[in-house]
Amino acid sequence: MGVMRLGYVHTRVTDLEESRKHYVDTLGMRVVAEEPGKLFLKAWDEYDHHSVVLEEGGVGLVKLGYKCRTPDDIAAFENRIQSFGAVTERMSKGENLSVGDGIRVVLPSEHVLELYSEIDVVGTETGSLNPDPFPRHLVGVGVPRIDHTLVTCEDPATLERFFAECLDFKPSERVVTGLDRDADLIGSWMFCTNTPHDIAFIKGPNGKLHHFAYWLNDWNEIRHAGDLFAMDDVSVDVGPTRHGITRGETIYFFDPSGNRNEVFSGGYITYPDFPTITWTPDQLAKGIFYISRELNERFTTVLT
Amino acid sequence: MTWLTVAGADVTVELHDREPMLSGLFRSGYAYRVGCKRGGCGICKVDLVEGAVDYPVTVSDEVLAPDERAAGVCLSCRAVPVTDSVIRLREDDRLRCVAPFLAAAVRGGSSGNSSVQKGKD
Repeated sequence: MGVMRLGYVHTRVTDLEESRKHYVDTLGMRVVAEEPGKLFLKAWDEYDHHSVVLEEGGVGLVKLGYKCRTPDDIAAFENRIQSFGAVTERMSKGENLSVGDGIRVVLPSEHVLELYSEIDVVGTETGSLNPDPFPRHLVGVGVPRIDHTLVTCEDPATLERFFAECLDFKPSERVVTGLDRDADLIGSWMFCTNTPHDIAFIKGPNGKLHHFAYWLNDWNEIRHAGDLFAMDDVSVDVGPTRHGITRGETIYFFDPSGNRNEVFSGGYITYPDFPTITWTPDQLAKGIFYISRELNERFTTVLT
Repeated sequence: MTWLTVAGADVTVELHDREPMLSGLFRSGYAYRVGCKRGGCGICKVDLVEGAVDYPVTVSDEVLAPDERAAGVCLSCRAVPVTDSVIRLREDDRLRCVAPFLAAAVRGGSSGNSSVQKGKD
């Protein structure tokens, strides 16, 4: 049983048409559906109907959707979540375009999480029969799929316990205030698949988005994405560089509303028996930006 | 074409047509604390001392509340002065000259440049 992956990220944007240029022309996602004030987007190597929803009006995160294997899994999660003390409500087919029944949870961090098991499967752009390795006419960066999100919360320890106890996520890496048993948790990177993280959280205000990330295959693709960001006047936060935490290669950048995006490659494989890696605050800068070993103030202050 | 002055730093730069404050200052060799530069985070807020601004790009009320805007707070990455204007950076921030050769090339900025370069960096 379990949560299979991050399925969709639903964010607010100030201007839908400017956002369309960024997510479609620069990043290379495809618009699969439109509603008044909303765009539904999909990347080329994703099977499900959409992975990003942009909603006009404001900035920041509306909700995250994680896809589960079966309705029974969701029912079991619902029991655990209610025992944990978080607020849940039933979500009906059609409330989200293409998405089936499920539950909606207000996390201890005030973020909204949706768990569902059914969504229209439309297939990748290369198909599942004798596929080519990539579609011939990708646009811009040509991102293949979304990868993970990082959100902020006042109490990372409680949120980590929620994801572990309710949803069977495991921490791959943790940042702690010290190595004593009573040390506080500053951040946790957690997985339900075999990537270094499917969600991460760091200490900060509740309900805020730090970034959501797209997967790229390697370091060269990260550089190529950076070149395109220069051509398209995308506001770049940090990179190209490498993270100590996750070992991934990265550029952080902003969409036209100031929501932070990332292109991410590399990292390692995790397993259910993966031993958790620990970082101490004196090495945090190296953990976040391995090469420069310096945190910029934007990393902790710029949130939407 | 408008002129933008940063009070306290005594720096004046010329802005291009429809150019936001932040863009004009950075283009002229200056820097200060900024965030996303796309109107989402509010890190680059400054106070308008004199003048008037327009927002050609939609700005979220969550980032720049209507009462703040009415009180003269500007989101400098998006605020476009429509007349010659004077701004003041936030108390815990300051204008830094990061490219003296650029700043020196900016007409009208010379009186303030030397003190910024020598005194504060």
